[in-house]
Amino acid sequence: MLFTGIICSQTTISGVVTDKNSGEKLPYVSVSNQNESGTTTDENGFYTITATPVSDVLTFSYLGYKTTRITVGNKTTINISLEEEATNLNEVVVTALGLNRKTKELGYVVQELKAKELTEVKTANFLDNLSGKLAGVTISQGATGVGSSSKITIRGEASFSNNNPLFIVDGTPINNNTVFNFTNEAAAGFQEIDFGNGAMEVNPDDIESVTVLKGPSAAALYGTRASNGVIVIQTKDGTKKKGLGISINSSITIDTAFRLPEFQNEFGQGNSGNFEYVDGLGGGTNDNITYSWGPRLDAGNLIAQFDSPVTLPDGTIVRGGDTSLYSGLPITPTLFKSNPDNLKDFYQTGVTTINNVSINDSFDRGSYRLSFTDLDSESIIPGVNLERKTVALKLNFNPTEKTKITSSVSYVNSGSDNRPSNGYGSENANYSLVAWGPRSLNIDSLRDYWQPGLENVQQYSFNYTFFDNPFFILYENTNSFNRDRVFGNITVNHKFTDKLSVSLRSGMDYSSEKRRFKRNFSSNRFKNGAYAEHDVFYREVNTDFLVNYTNNFGDVSFDVSLGGNRLDQTASTKQLQTTNLAQPGIFSLNNAASPIEAFQFDSKKRINSLYGIAKFGYKDYLYLDITGRNDWSSALATPFSVDGTSFFYPSVSTSFILSNATELPEIISFAKLRASVAQVGNDTNPYQTSGAFVSQTTFNGQATFSNQDFIPNANLKPEITTSYEVGADLRFFKDRLNIDFTYYNATTKDQIISLPIAISSGYNQQVVNGGKVNTTGVEIILGGTPIRNENFRWNTTFNFATNKSIIKDLPQEDGRLTLAFSRIYNSANQTVFFQVEEGGQVGDMYGTGYTKNADGEFVLDDNGRYIANNELIKIGNYNPDFTLGWNNNFTYKNFNASILFDWRQGGEIVSRTRALGNVGGQLAETSFRPDAGIVAQGVNVNTGQPNTVAVSAESYYRQFYDRNHEENNVYDASYLKLRQFSIGYTLNFNPGFMGLKDESTMNLSLIGNNLFVITENPHFDPEQLAVQGNGFVSGVEDMSYATSRSLGFKVGFNF
Amino acid sequence: MKKIIYIVAIFAFTLASCTTDFSDINTNPNAPVSVQPSLLLRQVIYDFGEQMSYEGFVAGDLLSQHRTALDFNLFDRHDLKSPQLGGNPWPIFFTNLRDNEIILKQSRETPAFAVYEGPSLILKAYMAAGLTDLFGDVPYFEAFNGVEGTVTPKYDLQEDIYQNENGILDNLDKGIAAINAYTGSIPLEGDILYSGDLDAWVRFANSLKIKYLIRISGKVNVAIQLQSIFDAGNYITTNSQNAIFDFTNSEPNSFRLAQLRIGDFNNFVLSETMEEILINLNDDRISTFFRPFANSNSGDFNGLINGINSSTTTISLSDYSLAGTAFREDTSTLDANFITAWETTFLLAEAAQKGLIIANPQTLYNNGVTQAFEYWNTNLPATYLAGNANFNAAGTSPLEQIITQKWIASIINGYEGWIEFRRTGFPEFKTVSASLNNGLIPVRMPYPAEAASLNAENYKVAETATNGNSLDVKVWWNE
Repeated sequence: MLFTGIICSQTTISGVVTDKNSGEKLPYVSVSNQNESGTTTDENGFYTITATPVSDVLTFSYLGYKTTRITVGNKTTINISLEEEATNLNEVVVTALGLNRKTKELGYVVQELKAKELTEVKTANFLDNLSGKLAGVTISQGATGVGSSSKITIRGEASFSNNNPLFIVDGTPINNNTVFNFTNEAAAGFQEIDFGNGAMEVNPDDIESVTVLKGPSAAALYGTRASNGVIVIQTKDGTKKKGLGISINSSITIDTAFRLPEFQNEFGQGNSGNFEYVDGLGGGTNDNITYSWGPRLDAGNLIAQFDSPVTLPDGTIVRGGDTSLYSGLPITPTLFKSNPDNLKDFYQTGVTTINNVSINDSFDRGSYRLSFTDLDSESIIPGVNLERKTVALKLNFNPTEKTKITSSVSYVNSGSDNRPSNGYGSENANYSLVAWGPRSLNIDSLRDYWQPGLENVQQYSFNYTFFDNPFFILYENTNSFNRDRVFGNITVNHKFTDKLSVSLRSGMDYSSEKRRFKRNFSSNRFKNGAYAEHDVFYREVNTDFLVNYTNNFGDVSFDVSLGGNRLDQTASTKQLQTTNLAQPGIFSLNNAASPIEAFQFDSKKRINSLYGIAKFGYKDYLYLDITGRNDWSSALATPFSVDGTSFFYPSVSTSFILSNATELPEIISFAKLRASVAQVGNDTNPYQTSGAFVSQTTFNGQATFSNQDFIPNANLKPEITTSYEVGADLRFFKDRLNIDFTYYNATTKDQIISLPIAISSGYNQQVVNGGKVNTTGVEIILGGTPIRNENFRWNTTFNFATNKSIIKDLPQEDGRLTLAFSRIYNSANQTVFFQVEEGGQVGDMYGTGYTKNADGEFVLDDNGRYIANNELIKIGNYNPDFTLGWNNNFTYKNFNASILFDWRQGGEIVSRTRALGNVGGQLAETSFRPDAGIVAQGVNVNTGQPNTVAVSAESYYRQFYDRNHEENNVYDASYLKLRQFSIGYTLNFNPGFMGLKDESTMNLSLIGNNLFVITENPHFDPEQLAVQGNGFVSGVEDMSYATSRSLGFKVGFNF
Repeated sequence: MKKIIYIVAIFAFTLASCTTDFSDINTNPNAPVSVQPSLLLRQVIYDFGEQMSYEGFVAGDLLSQHRTALDFNLFDRHDLKSPQLGGNPWPIFFTNLRDNEIILKQSRETPAFAVYEGPSLILKAYMAAGLTDLFGDVPYFEAFNGVEGTVTPKYDLQEDIYQNENGILDNLDKGIAAINAYTGSIPLEGDILYSGDLDAWVRFANSLKIKYLIRISGKVNVAIQLQSIFDAGNYITTNSQNAIFDFTNSEPNSFRLAQLRIGDFNNFVLSETMEEILINLNDDRISTFFRPFANSNSGDFNGLINGINSSTTTISLSDYSLAGTAFREDTSTLDANFITAWETTFLLAEAAQKGLIIANPQTLYNNGVTQAFEYWNTNLPATYLAGNANFNAAGTSPLEQIITQKWIASIINGYEGWIEFRRTGFPEFKTVSASLNNGLIPVRMPYPAEAASLNAENYKVAETATNGNSLDVKVWWNE
C-alpha cells in the first residue's frame, strides 16, 4: 500500500531552516524523508524535497544542532528553526580498532585528552603528561632522572603478572616494554639500568588526541592485551586546515633537584665518636665503612680525612685518599667541618629544550603533515642526559572517490651518554652519597676523581672498601645507549557502496637498540674494569582487515563489522661482557682479559584473531553494541601440540540517552545511562609450556647446563577477565556542569602465575593457572565552568578514582602467594615481599619487624634492645585509597592560565633511603645523640614494665632502622602535588600579517612542572619505583635519585 | 556477489591457518629441552664445590671459629636466621640434587648413559649427607623431583636418610656396585674430579663410607663395616687421589673471594680461637691461611674473638690478620674439597683410637698430618710432630689431637669444622663475644624462612620436632 502510495502521490515540500537563537539561515542542513531520499539546504537555508503527504516525516539534522523531525501533514511549506545542541553531545571519539564513535552511543566510559592538554607543559616521558588528568589512571616515575621509565596503571592492578595497558598509535599497537640488562642478584657485577619504557617516545607535539579505554568493556575488541585498558593515540594530520600550514614550537625549562634528603649535620664520619683516615680500607680508625657516628663537626677538631693533604718526600702535596702514591706517610689533619649542602651541590642545574617544526597541507585529493621534533635534556644528575629526535609523517590520499589511503610513520632516535644504575649497590651514586656519604664529606673534593698520574687506572675516592667516587661513577662508568625506533602503518579503505566498505591495514613497531656499559679499573665491583654490550631488538607486525556494513531499518540503525588480525612479535636480547680488561681505558671486547660471557634470549609469538562488532541504534536514544573475538595464541602451544590455544570472549554494552527519550527538567541538558558486560582473555609469555636447560658458568672453558628453576605447564589456559560496568553521564545548565560517574566490577580468573614453591622440590617456581581477583572501583569526572562571561572563563575538572583488588581465590590450599619481591643483593632477610592471601588485597607488602606485644608496644630485652621477630607480617599496601586530579583552566581575553593538582591518598612505601641513611647516621632522624644514650620506648620482655635501660645512640639507631626489618622504614605514601602550571598569552594576527595569507597566532607561556609536594616523607619524591631483576615494583623506594622541578617558558607560532 | 566470495575466502583462509607453526614458534630456541648428562655432571660438581667453598669461607669458617667477621656479622654472633653474606646453603643442596637426579634418571633409562649411574649415586649420597648433617630432618625421599613428583615433599628423619634404602649408605653401596658392574666402553665425561677414572670414584665412595659410618657411630655399631672397608684398602690414601678440583687465578673459575668487592674480603680476619691453636702448635700453615696484620713489624699474626658487637666495638683492621693471598690475589692453589686423603686418614685414626678398627692410631695420625701439610702446600717442619702436635702431647687427648689436626686443614671446606666440633667437642671453642644465642654454640642450622611459608604443612612437623626450628636441638647422630 505504501508502495502504491509512493508511486501515485508524492508532493513537494520546501522551506527555510534557521537557527533558533539567532535567526540565521543554516546552509548544508541535511533534510531527508522516510524513504531516505534526501537533500541539503543551500546557502540561504532553502530546501526542496519530495515526500509522501500526511504520513511522511522529514528529518532535519546538522552538526551542533538537535536533530528535529516534523510530520509532513498537509503542508507544502515547512519552515523550521533548529536548536543548538549543547556542544560535546555529538563529539566523536576514537574507539577500538580506530573506529570513530559518537560518545553518546557508547555503553562504557571513555575519557579523552586533546592536543592542547598534552602540550601545555611537555615532559620527556610521554606518560608523565597524562598524570592527574585521567580518572583511574595512575602514573609513577622511575628513580634515575630524565630517561627513566614511568609505570602506568589503569584501574589498579588486577593481574598477578602483567598490568601494562596496550598502546595504539593510529591503529597500530606499539610496545611499552622496559628491557633491563642481564644481572645477577649478588653484590657483584652490573646492577640494573633503566633505559626507558617503549611508550615514552610518543611525541606530544604530534598527537591530536589520546583516548583512554579503561577496561575490558571498552577494549574487548583489542584482544589479549586489552584487559588492562587501552590508550588510543591519534596523530595529527593535514586535514584540519585547507592549504598550507606551518607550526613552530619551542620550549626550554630549567630543572633543579626536587626534594632532597634531610641530613643531620652535627656529626661526621666514624663510629663511637672516633675517626681517623689512613687508607679508606680499615687501616685507620673506623675508616673502612663510612658511618657518620664519629666526632662532632664544626667543633674545631682537626682530623685526618680523605682530602687532607699529605706531603710526599719530594715536596709535592697529594690528598689523603691518593693511597697509591704513598705509604706510611702522615696525613696532615684538617678541620672536621659540616657540609650541609654536599648533596645539593652534587646535583647540577639541568636544561631541557624541546623544539618542534611541522608543516601540513591539504589539497584536492589528500593531505599530509610532516613534523620534526628535537628534545635535548641535560639532567640534574651530572653526566646524564637524554637526546631524542622524532620525524613524523602522516599522509592521506584519495586516489578515487571511494578509496582512501592513509599512512602514518614515525621515526624516533633516542640516546644518552649515561643512564644511572638503579638500586642498592656501589654502581648507584646514591649508595655513596645518601646511604654511606659521611656528613663530613666535602663534595667538591671529589670532583677530581683520578689519583694524580693514574688516570684510567686508579680512582680517588673517600673510601675504598665499598664505595666509588660518585663523579667517577657518573662520568667514567657510563651506560650509554642509542635506539632507533620506527612505528607506523599503511591503511587502505575502500567504499564499495554507501553501506559496504572494507579496510586493510598493516603496521609495525620496530626498535633496535645498542647499549654499552663501561667500567674502569679500580671500580669497587670491577677492579680490573669491565665492558659489556647489550643489543635489544623488538619487532611487532600487525596485519588486519575489517569489513563494515551499515544500514537503517526504520528507526533502527544497524552497523556490523567483521575482521581479523595477525600479530607477529619477535624480540631478542643479547649481552656480551667481560669483567676483566687487559689494558685500562680501552672498552672493547677485544680487550678482554677473561673469557667473554654471553647471555642471549630470543622469543617469538604469534596471535591470530577473528572478531566482529554489531551496533544497533534505536532512534536517537537507545544504542546496543555486541562484540565477539576469538584468539589463537602460540604462547599456549607446546612444542608437541596446539590444543588449548584458542579462546573466545564476547561483550555487550548499551547506552540509553534519557534526555532524548523523554522530557527532563530544564536544568538537565543531557542525561545518559550506560551499562556493559565484557570478557577479555589474556595469554602469557612464550616458552612457559615446556622445560629447558640453561647454560651456566663454564669450567676451564667447558660448558655446563642446569635445569631451569621453574616447572612448566603444558596445559596452560588463558586468563579471563569478566567485567561489569555501569555509569551515567549527566550535564546541567546547558553543559556548564557535567558529572560522569562509573562503577565497575571485574573478576580475573585463571591467572597465569609463576607460583613460588619450596626449593626442596628442586624448583623455585611452578607455572600454574589459578587465582581469582575481584577488582571494584568508582570513577567520577566532575567538570564545569563556574565563571563564564564575555572576557573571562574558568573551566575546572575533577578526576576522582578509587579502586580495590581483593583476592578471592588462590591456586594453593592456604597461606600466601608471593608475586614479587624487592631485595637488597640476594639476601632473603632484606626483602620486601609482595604477597597475597585470600581476602587480602593486591599490593599488600610483607616484611619483618621487631617484637611487639598485644598493645602494639615494642618488647625489649634486658639490655634495652629490640628483639627481632623474623615472622613475616604485613607492613602496608602500596595502592592508594583514592586519587584525585584537579585541573583548572582560566581564560581572560588573550591570556590563558592552567594549574593542575594531583592528590593521592593512602598507600605505603618502604624506604631503603630511610633504612640505610639512618643506620649510617646520615639522616636528620639521627641528630639526637645524647651522651647518656637513648632509652627505647617499650616494655621489658620479662617484667612487662616500661624499659629504662639506655643504649648508645649509635646502637639505638642502627638497630631501629636496620635494613633487615622493614617495618620501621615504612612511610605513608599519600601526597598532594602541585604538578603543573602555565600562564600564557596568545597574539592573533589577521591575514596579511608578515605577508602570510591566512590568520596566524603566536603564543608565549611560562610553564612549570613538578613544583611542590606535601607528603609524610621528608627525603624523596613520593612517586617512586624500584627495580628488581627484570621488572619494576611499586611500594619500595630504593636509593632513588631526586626528581626534577622544571620552570621555563615556551613559544609557539602557527600559521 | 564477487565481494561476498572474497570475504568468505579470506575468512576460510584465516581460519584454516589459525594455529599453523604454533608448535615451532613456541619451542624455546635459547635453551634445549634435554642435555647430555656430561654437561649436567660438570655443572653439579662445579657448582656444588664452588658454592660450598664460598659458604665455607663466609659462614662455615665463622661457625667453626677459623675466621671472624668484623661487621654485618649477625651470623658470627650466632643469629643463624639472619645471614648477611652467604650462610644460606639450603638452596645449593636442593638445586644440585635436582640436576643430579636428572643424571641418575638418564643413566637408568638410556643404556648409552649407564656409566653415569655410579658417580651420580655417589654424589647424591655426598650432598644428602651434607644437607642432613646441617639441618637434621630434611625433605629427601620425596624431594627434588618437582616435575614428576610433589612440590611439597615431606621431611624425612635423619636416621632414615642415612640408613634406609636409597639413603646415603645404600646409595654409596649401589654406586660402587654400579661402577663395578659397568662393562661398557663409553667414558665418563664432565668429570672434573677424576677425568673419567672410575676406580677413583670407587675409592671416593669408600672414603665417604668411612666418613659417614664414623659420623653415625654414636648411634649405630659400625665397627664391622669399618673394619671390612679398612681391610679392603680401596679408599683414598694419597693426595693424588683426592676428590677435588682446582680453582684458577682468573675469572670465571677463580675462588669467589677473588671476585667479590674488597670490602667483603676485608670483613673477615683470623679468629682468636684458630690463632691460639696454631701458635700453640707452632704451625707454619698460619702464614698460608692468613697474612700478618698490617700494623705488625715482625710478621706476626693476630686474631679477633668471634661474634663481636660491631656497633659498639671499634676495630682497627690493621691490627688483625686478613686471609692469605691464596684466597684472593692468586687462588690457583686453592681446591674445592669433596674429600681428601688426610680427612680419610684422620677418620681411620679416630676409628682405630676408639677401637672400631684394628690399626695403629698414631701412625695413621702422623700420616694424616703429613698429608694435610702437603695438601696445603706447606712444608712440614721436622720438629712439628715432636712438639705440641704430638699424638700423645701433654694436656691433650689423642682424639683431641686427631680432630684438631683435621679441623685445621678443613678451612673453607663447607661447614665441616663445625660439624665435627658438634660431634666430638674438639677443638675447644670459645664463647662468642656478643652472642645472640644465649651464649650457646648452635648445634644445627635453622630451616630457612621460605620453607615455612612454601611447604607449611610438612614444615610444621619438622618445626615441632626441633622445638620451633631451634639452633640448640641436636640432630640424630649427635644425640
